[in-house]
Amino acid sequence: MTLQQPALAATAALARPARRRDKGRLFQEIGMLAPAVALLTIFLIVPFLLSFWTAMTNQPLVPRPTPVRFIGFTNFLRILKDDLFWISLWNVSRFTFWILPVQCGLAFATALLLHQKLPFRNFFRGLFFLPAITSMVVVCVIWGTLFQYPTGPLNQVIGFLSAGRIQPIDWLGDPNWAMFSIVLLSAWQAYGFQMIVYLAGLQGIPDELYDAARIDGANAFQRFWHVTMPGLRPTHVFVLVITTIQAFKLYTQVAVLTQGGPRSSTETVVHYMVRTGFEEQKLGLASAVSVILFLIVLVIALLQRQLLRRFDV
Amino acid sequence: MSDLVLSATQMEVKRERSAIGSLRLVQTACILVIALVIVSPLFMLLVASLKDDRFQILADMGSFRAFWVSNPTLSNFAEVGNLSGELAYGRYLLNSLFILACTVGFGLIVNSMAGFVLAWGSLRGRALILSVVIALYVIPQESIIMPLVIMVSRAGMTDTFAVQIVPWVASPLYIFLFYQFFAQLPKELFEAAEMDGASVFRIYRSIFLPLSLPALATVSILMGIEAWNQYLWPILVTQTDYARPIAVAIATFFGQDSIYWDRAMAASVLMMIPILALYLAFQRWFVSSFVGSAVKG
Repeated sequence: MTLQQPALAATAALARPARRRDKGRLFQEIGMLAPAVALLTIFLIVPFLLSFWTAMTNQPLVPRPTPVRFIGFTNFLRILKDDLFWISLWNVSRFTFWILPVQCGLAFATALLLHQKLPFRNFFRGLFFLPAITSMVVVCVIWGTLFQYPTGPLNQVIGFLSAGRIQPIDWLGDPNWAMFSIVLLSAWQAYGFQMIVYLAGLQGIPDELYDAARIDGANAFQRFWHVTMPGLRPTHVFVLVITTIQAFKLYTQVAVLTQGGPRSSTETVVHYMVRTGFEEQKLGLASAVSVILFLIVLVIALLQRQLLRRFDV
Repeated sequence: MSDLVLSATQMEVKRERSAIGSLRLVQTACILVIALVIVSPLFMLLVASLKDDRFQILADMGSFRAFWVSNPTLSNFAEVGNLSGELAYGRYLLNSLFILACTVGFGLIVNSMAGFVLAWGSLRGRALILSVVIALYVIPQESIIMPLVIMVSRAGMTDTFAVQIVPWVASPLYIFLFYQFFAQLPKELFEAAEMDGASVFRIYRSIFLPLSLPALATVSILMGIEAWNQYLWPILVTQTDYARPIAVAIATFFGQDSIYWDRAMAASVLMMIPILALYLAFQRWFVSSFVGSAVKG
């Protein structure tokens, strides 16, 4: 989970200008920087560049006697012709469409509530963050039981609240419901992070603005609409973008609970990639998927910069 | 005239106060509802892990008995807490703890050193390295693991602890977090120490690091959660129990025909304990520095 905004600070001036250099000091600095640079090069830059190369070869998972051949964009064409890839892209889009209002909306509402001077608010802040530190696999164990069909807790609660009018739902077994069920447990797990980010955003709005608005006779709703919302614009963009990127990387929940089923209704891009690479053992093909995934994430990140620049004025 | 205005304002204040009073009530009610939604699944997990009979667990799920256990037992924990054998969740837990400790330990050192040099060093390429680090941040883990799997298997690193630790020690995000934290400290700190003849490493080690507890706590928690919850990477690079982390082991409950919920619940509780302890230990610093360092727009 990421809560920083490095792209923005890229232009920020470095802490202080370079000064008189002497050799011993230079060596020390290089020595302190070297481990990070070496590790990032070996485990991030090299595999990243390799993924572009592998994507254009017929690299298998297990080495074969026949040499690996360069096949150009064949892998990309094959993926773009594969219905399952488009289904997985459609599924993560559906997931994004649901998770944004559910998770971010809930996080925003909770942050607004906890920003008030309510009793025990620090306790609640800590409490609401608990699911976020819970491993996704544990979340799957918990929600796997909550989703039990037909007499699991969730169905019981819904039956009780609707006085039996709503029939039990086969949360994970019904293709119409499976992705939405994944949305529910994902939102439950991750919304604490967004809540904290929103709290930070709310604390960043100076009190003087509220005082000034009050003196001008603005009511609570006007203060919210004309002070809080504009003040939170960068936060909104950040939260929406991070959540969207996370959504496109959806994997663990689906791999543990549904394996992409039923009837491919929860197949995701990363799950599709892992299956291609490790079950079908076509690493070249899987690398092509990973390149496409990277491009999607890159576009979203660039979109964020553009949006922020527009808002920043 | 002024009396009239004053009393009008007073009335308004009074009205606003009573409105605030009822608003508070609604707000508190909302918070309690959210708390119920957040906490009840976790509470259910804890309760179910103390029940002996897996069929009973499922039967209880449909009623309020899901939140109550009449004769709590630790037998599930005894069953899964072995150090070897079929249900060696004790071992997987220790594996995960070892991976967590090494990743966070090395990660704090490596990333903070780099962040410090980027903030206060005199190297000529600092600005360039910093912008490369920031650019690297965009690359998702998911899109590099395919070639990475080939690399580590060629290097004979599969099924080791190292393969689960070393690749994730250095991270653009944490280097940047440390950079940002160090850069905002006053430059007099650095200059005074330099005047006294302290070396760069010495200044980092004895002056800046002790001042960076909030940053260290934040990075520890974020890195710890990340290392603890790794799932995709370990399933690709571990085949035997030797270095298998507990997340992967718990997921195998789902592969069986009928799920042993009692054991799955107990193993899940086991998995929550260490990360919960880490969170509670660092929470004080975490929330303040998190709030301080998150999006500034």
